[in-house]
Amino acid sequence: MRVLNLTVNGDATEVAAPAHWTLLEVLRYRMGLTGSKQGCDKGDCGACTVLIDGEPQLSCLTVAALAEGHEITTIEGLLPAHLRAGGEGPDPVQEAFDRCGALQCGFCQPGMILSARALLSENPAPTRDEIKAALSGNLCRCTGYTQIYQAVELALAEATGAEPASPSWAPGENPWAKTPEGNARPAVGAAGLTEGTGVAPSGGDSRTNGKAH
Amino acid sequence: MLRLPKFEVAAPQTVDEALALLAEYGADAMLMAGGTDLVPNMKHGLFEPKLVVSVSAIDELQGVAIEDDGTLVIGAATTLQAVATNDEVRRRAPAFAQAAGLVAGPQLRRMGTVGGNVMLDTRCQWYNQTHFWRKSLGFCLKKDGSLCHVVEGGSKCVAAASNDTAPTLMSLGAKLVFARRNSEGQVVRKTLAVDDLYKSDGAFNKKVAGDELLIAVRIPAGAPQHRGAYGKLRDRGSIDFPLLGVAVRIDLDDAGAVADADLVAVALQARPIRLKKAAEALVGNTPGKPGWDEAVDAAAEAAYGQCHPMPNIPGDHDYRREMVPVYVRRTIRAAVAGEGPVHHV
Amino acid sequence: MASRDQHGIHPPFADADGKRRFGVIGKPLRKVDGIAKATGQAVYADDIQLPGMLHAKTLRSPHAHARIVRIDTSRAEALPGVHAVITGRSMPIPYGVIPWTPDENALAVDRVRFIGDEVAAVAAVDEDTANAALELIDVEYELLAVYLDPVEALENCTDAIHPNPKRPERGNLSKRVELDFGDVADGFERADVIVEDDYTFHGTTHTAIEPHCAVATYSPDKLLTLWSATQITHYVHRALARVLELPAHSIRVIQPCLGGAFGGKSDPFSLEFCVAKLAMITGRPVKMLWTREEVFYAHRGRHPMRLHYKTGATKDGKVTAVDAKILIDGGAYSSFGLVTTYYSGQLLTGPYDFPAYHYDSTRVFTNKPPCGPKRGHGSVQPRFAFEVQLDEVAEALAMDPIELRRANWQGEHTKTVNGQRITSNGFMQCLAEVERASRWKERRGKLPFGRGLGVAGSMYISGTNYPIYPNDMPQAGIQLKVDRSGLVMAFTGGNDIGQGSNTVVRTIVCEELGLEPDMVRVVAADTDLCPVDLGAYSSRVTFMVGNATIDAARKLRHQIAGAVAAEWEIDPGRIFMGSGQVFDLEDRAKCISSMEAFQIAEARCDTLGSTGAYNTPTLGGDYRGGTIGASPAYSFTAHAVEVQVDVETGRITVDNCWIAHDCGRALNPMLVAGQMEGSAYMGLAEAVLEHHDVNRFGLHAGPSLLDYRIPTSVDTPELHALIVESLDPEGPYGAKEAGEGPLHPSIPAISNAVFDAVGIRLRHLPFTPGKVLAALRERRAAETAVGSAKESV
Ligand SMILES: Cc1cc2nc3c(=O)[nH]c(=O)nc-3n(C[C@H](O)[C@H](O)[C@H](O)COP(=O)(O)OP(=O)(O)OC[C@H]3O[C@@H](n4cnc5c(N)ncnc54)[C@H](O)[C@@H]3O)c2cc1C
Ligand code: SF4
Ligand code: FES
Ligand code: FES
Repeated sequence: MRVLNLTVNGDATEVAAPAHWTLLEVLRYRMGLTGSKQGCDKGDCGACTVLIDGEPQLSCLTVAALAEGHEITTIEGLLPAHLRAGGEGPDPVQEAFDRCGALQCGFCQPGMILSARALLSENPAPTRDEIKAALSGNLCRCTGYTQIYQAVELALAEATGAEPASPSWAPGENPWAKTPEGNARPAVGAAGLTEGTGVAPSGGDSRTNGKAH
Repeated sequence: MLRLPKFEVAAPQTVDEALALLAEYGADAMLMAGGTDLVPNMKHGLFEPKLVVSVSAIDELQGVAIEDDGTLVIGAATTLQAVATNDEVRRRAPAFAQAAGLVAGPQLRRMGTVGGNVMLDTRCQWYNQTHFWRKSLGFCLKKDGSLCHVVEGGSKCVAAASNDTAPTLMSLGAKLVFARRNSEGQVVRKTLAVDDLYKSDGAFNKKVAGDELLIAVRIPAGAPQHRGAYGKLRDRGSIDFPLLGVAVRIDLDDAGAVADADLVAVALQARPIRLKKAAEALVGNTPGKPGWDEAVDAAAEAAYGQCHPMPNIPGDHDYRREMVPVYVRRTIRAAVAGEGPVHHV
Repeated sequence: MASRDQHGIHPPFADADGKRRFGVIGKPLRKVDGIAKATGQAVYADDIQLPGMLHAKTLRSPHAHARIVRIDTSRAEALPGVHAVITGRSMPIPYGVIPWTPDENALAVDRVRFIGDEVAAVAAVDEDTANAALELIDVEYELLAVYLDPVEALENCTDAIHPNPKRPERGNLSKRVELDFGDVADGFERADVIVEDDYTFHGTTHTAIEPHCAVATYSPDKLLTLWSATQITHYVHRALARVLELPAHSIRVIQPCLGGAFGGKSDPFSLEFCVAKLAMITGRPVKMLWTREEVFYAHRGRHPMRLHYKTGATKDGKVTAVDAKILIDGGAYSSFGLVTTYYSGQLLTGPYDFPAYHYDSTRVFTNKPPCGPKRGHGSVQPRFAFEVQLDEVAEALAMDPIELRRANWQGEHTKTVNGQRITSNGFMQCLAEVERASRWKERRGKLPFGRGLGVAGSMYISGTNYPIYPNDMPQAGIQLKVDRSGLVMAFTGGNDIGQGSNTVVRTIVCEELGLEPDMVRVVAADTDLCPVDLGAYSSRVTFMVGNATIDAARKLRHQIAGAVAAEWEIDPGRIFMGSGQVFDLEDRAKCISSMEAFQIAEARCDTLGSTGAYNTPTLGGDYRGGTIGASPAYSFTAHAVEVQVDVETGRITVDNCWIAHDCGRALNPMLVAGQMEGSAYMGLAEAVLEHHDVNRFGLHAGPSLLDYRIPTSVDTPELHALIVESLDPEGPYGAKEAGEGPLHPSIPAISNAVFDAVGIRLRHLPFTPGKVLAALRERRAAETAVGSAKESV
């Protein structure tokens, strides 16, 4: 057993673990940070991706003891970091993944989101091809990746104030478009009431597509 | 979860410390850089060192430098990502940068190192498997067993060199700087041409011992009109090891004719193969001028004649053979055009 | 029980202007669990850690077929840290997900049937100790003849894989179905063109990114609790009771958040029994997490099939008869194989009308990982063969492939040749959508050599009325509980496997009770808390659970609206519920929150809650097996794909895939699109990359996510989801399935596009570059032959 000094999500922590444990095992089974997933055991899937000094790396191939002295960020770290930086709620990338429906089973997504987060931190305006390339080490079996690209592009658009592209399944109105005032589309309420009757307020539900006003 | 066998780990800060540990533990110690080859192999029960000596904390092994004579010096523990995105490396050794940029996937390139890639273990579909799997068919002679499943009755392992950068380094005439402790306990360094590193024994395809630490890769300055490219065949556009890799170096003379050329292929047999006849077919010809297309075809033909992929790594080996001339042609053209890599995505 | 109740396609409320509008249905609402998943807070099976928990591991057979002569566990038991070792003798009662074919054991009792079959299990303080103990279990095997090829297994059976002493002549036969509809001979007689050919479907597997995992505890008062990564809690519950000989009421099965399934988590699995038994023996919680390799052995993936099809058609393209002979490689166990065998024939009879149809399907046992249901169960393989064959018919008749499909459309509200009832049918619109979006008319047949467009269509079930085990109880049940806080809790036995079924439940409750999404929470797939639902398979959840939810919510709505109307002394018809408010349509100043309405209703009616249920109407053909594949509603799909073929490397690159899918009504278009894109992706991957195979030793050729190659982002084409809504009369607000149908056409559409691109017919999967090159060579040789023949004339 060794006492490891790990810096995880900004906190320096001491944790005891055998020397042959991987970082993934220590995070999950010693520290209770089960957000990082294990999909393949050995470097083939990307589900265990964490950020080490800001770079996406595979925690299932990282010997935990060798992660000492590095900044480790797991999926659990993004939201608190965003709050600490004065933001509201989850990291914009997490928020965009949720808004775009990119989270089906969600098992690949902690790793995927961290790869996306690293990309956007490094490249403020990636093209779709660059997004694809950056995420090509994170296997997703549910989505066909499309809604994942849309999420990254929505996060980008939100950051730059640009209009996000409309998905193929919404030929009428763009579900992610901004209103002229710069707000996201009004939240979903009971349509019969919100359209002009003025009786019931439109629901300000931040959990629907479109932000609360 | 697939578990690692028990081991202790050390993270020396200097070459001397690392070598001291290797000397002390002997065969019980193994070097590790990014661990992206060693850790899966350990999980498969292929290696069970008592001590893992990480080289990641040794400053001397990090970074890219250019010497006065134009030699590129790349620390062994420099990540593949770092070299693939380094402008000097891309300019001076395009084939090498391209190969590094096509290794595995994005995360692995940020972990995996140049040294680890050079020193990569050979691969085989009967070998890169779990202990249970290998045991079910009685193991094989590379590890724990006595027969080969690729060559019936074979007595020599033919597992394939599968490191993308190796053929590019061979084509570039790169040299490797190793350090070890001799029997008197002194640290000695030696320089070895990459060509002389590999041997054709799949069980262990290198001519250095486990106590030798790779310090740096030295790529000599290229000819003024250096051209290079790397072509990689694989099933998916990311993550996968090569099913075939082709490195091309072409030096043009002032008139634009090929003064010198080198072609090296990988993922065929235990060591990367120099395609000598293919290179010779190009020399004296001028890209774009009459005769060039024929020269390229001749090179492709010669390569086809020389390469005989075996069913060592997964995939259809007849198909891999068919792709030899195609990738040779395409990689030559890409090199001449200053493009590359040749890769399907 | 309001079974067979039709709720209609309309929104529940009429506004003051008399118009009906949806509040939340049809909107791209976020998922109930999206942000929990995005932030790493969602709890999956392996995230569960209980105090004192032991870790279990499985010993597996290294032989493809052998009798177990002796097992000695004493050395393993003696290893410090080992708490229990179990073998087949500890749980000898066989089970099977289909009650008629109980041929599996939690651990092999006297025979192992494939490399990887489970033999023993160990619980120890940690995984390393459990692994070490496995090495100390001594097993003596007597080797038996190994069958890797289905034809060989059928024809030369000496050691039957499942000996049947009463009917030894069955040999390695697992199931045979032969059915005949209409006058097939006459159909071929009438045909102007007949196309006949062989097709091969290779094996593929699910590879959900989450490996199987189960955790069990056994309390001193004899309550067994199992958390498992399963997609059918109810069948696991039943199987546990049977095998462990426990009363079902003392077992609780919970599905935590699930990391993908695709059919691969439908069977009860060895690890579920093992952790339960080990927890009972040791008195400690026990977890077993399979390695990725073990998941490949557990398999239950798509069956390899050898298919022979013959199709006749008239000059104007009308199909006159179809004849199919199918050999199905089942692997070592039955799993859902009985259903697979039926599905391989039953589900082909739409969206086209054929007057005559005969099929003869045979499933065979082999010594390989067992096959089972994978997304598009049983019907993806025949659909591939048939849709390629339709293209060949079009070619023979010089017809546009889309026009040929139009010519054969079966129509709405009709019956198929095998007696299945078709209700809504948006296939024509699906064809029109892909024709438009792919610019088919301008481009098909006109792209430069090497580029091509292909089309294919399909039909799939929205659940069936075959409930796996015969019973008259509802197929889907739901319970709603109303809280004074304004919160409505929905308890559903349905399994959310990532497809978003819990979100569908919440959305429907919101719609019916006029609530905002955050006023409804869903508890799902916990057998103690939730009414029975038959689980996430055969695309039944939206249709059946959706209808059950409307049923329950509507009962509550009547109660609440009635109570408020009584309180206000107005007619209940004037009560409107929306956006979390309840008011009088004729006097809008009378407006209270839902919470206040709930409190009024609770005061007047006592504690509020309701149940809802769904059962299918009587469906299916009047013959043995006629209910298998009989669905209350069928979804329809058309794909157009655009490919590039590199004629030097033989590599097929799929650039675009347009997916038009008739889902009845998109309750949430974003989730529907996600299912469509995910399905198409999976089909495309089966066509060009994936191959689940065993090597000459009977050992899985590459049981890892490196060697079994599922596409990365850069291998996936641009996917364009085009939603078609046909509004089914019986679906919830008109909805049908969307999770499996859109997989089917991808594979034949690629083959057909390759034909358009380079003129070769790919009939044998997977479409590897090597096969493409061989076919191109053949074509060139044929052309040269024709060319020189011409010259010599
Ligand atoms: C899913 C997956 C896909 C992959 N795909 C590819 C691919 O496409 N192409 C490819 O080439 N590789 C691939 N790899 C292998 C690997 O990631 C790379 O080869 C990488 O460059 C190895 O570097 P490393 O630093 O991680 O090596 P390590 O694993 O640390 O070491 C590899 C070997 O080199 C030795 N070694 C390391 N450093 C030194 C040193 N300084 N001196 C002496 N010996 C040393 C180690 O002892 C060990 O034997 C893949 C790996 C995985 C898991
Ligand atoms: S070639 Fe493969 S099977 Fe043969 S000895 Fe080497 S590793 Fe083993
Ligand atoms: S679990 Fe680490 S890459 Fe799959
Ligand atoms: S969302 Fe399920 S694997 Fe990606």
